[in-house]
Amino acid sequence: MIFSIDYKKGQMEMIGLVIIVILITLGMLFMAIFALKADPEKKIFTRKGLAYSTMSALMKTTISETDCVSGYSGSDKPQFGKDIVEDCAANFDEKPGGYSQYRCSGVHSCVFFEMKTTQLLNMTLGAWHKNYEFHSQLVRASETKPVVLLDVKGGSGCAKKDRDSSGLFPIQAGDAGLIENVLYLCD
Amino acid sequence: MIYFGKKGQLHMTETIAVMFIFFVLIMFAMIFYYKYQQVAFKEKQEELLGARAMDKTLKALFLPELLCTKGEAESEDNCFDLMKLRHANETFTKYLTNYYFSVFSYARISVLQLYPEQKEFLLYDKPKPDAVSGEKTYFVVILKDEIVGNSLPQYNFGYVMVEVYS
Repeated sequence: MIFSIDYKKGQMEMIGLVIIVILITLGMLFMAIFALKADPEKKIFTRKGLAYSTMSALMKTTISETDCVSGYSGSDKPQFGKDIVEDCAANFDEKPGGYSQYRCSGVHSCVFFEMKTTQLLNMTLGAWHKNYEFHSQLVRASETKPVVLLDVKGGSGCAKKDRDSSGLFPIQAGDAGLIENVLYLCD
Repeated sequence: MIYFGKKGQLHMTETIAVMFIFFVLIMFAMIFYYKYQQVAFKEKQEELLGARAMDKTLKALFLPELLCTKGEAESEDNCFDLMKLRHANETFTKYLTNYYFSVFSYARISVLQLYPEQKEFLLYDKPKPDAVSGEKTYFVVILKDEIVGNSLPQYNFGYVMVEVYS
């Protein structure tokens, strides 16, 4: 009799234990669901679109500084991506004080490239409190390792995990090689 | 006899304590769930507002009234024509109630040129009278100026800002 009561009591305690385990499992499951909830599609789309549009606009911008080419009296001004970045790649080894075809604001095209990129990204993404990373590198046929032309970080930069990219914006810089520009954007 | 009574009382107290803790836990769970629902509702509202802002931004970005065109070729990506932009406000104001309100509803759309010089073009402004908050969406665009360049147009750097109200 005593054994039977003890046995039933043991069974009840076991049931209680099982219920607690089930409740804890359910709680953890809910927490995992909330924690692993993916970013809303809209946020990702906005970030990707913004990264692409920023990069595309930056590369297309016409440089309005009047002193880019000394002695040139024409009215056509250099384009940021096509002319300045390309010139920077072609004359990268002469940086910062040496020769470059364009000398906007009196500086080497690589210095100007850095100055203008930092300024324009700061005025847009920086002002909107976005973290970003701009990376530009030159892939030369003669070298296996690409040469870094420019690295600009805004805010705390971007971790590799949660970021969106503008995609590669390649520019063929004649004999100098291929320039690869990319903008990473994260919150 | 007294011993058994005390044992029964002890069991009763134990059961009451367990029940009390159980109900306290249930209460905590309910409070947590209520708070979570409140936050989730707010988040959902913000998400919907954000989606609306995004929708309006996309509509603004692809407006033929502003897009850069190249004759019969495809229009340029993320590009507004400054010649159209300079006079867009007149058109937007003129047809605000007839047409643009059905496209943009309560919103404010402006284009800001940052480089070479800073300029603002207000395109559309229809504030909601009882608006509680607003959501701003930005998109970087290029502003094509065909008057300045000789053979090539000049591309200026700017952004479009769309603010929707809730």
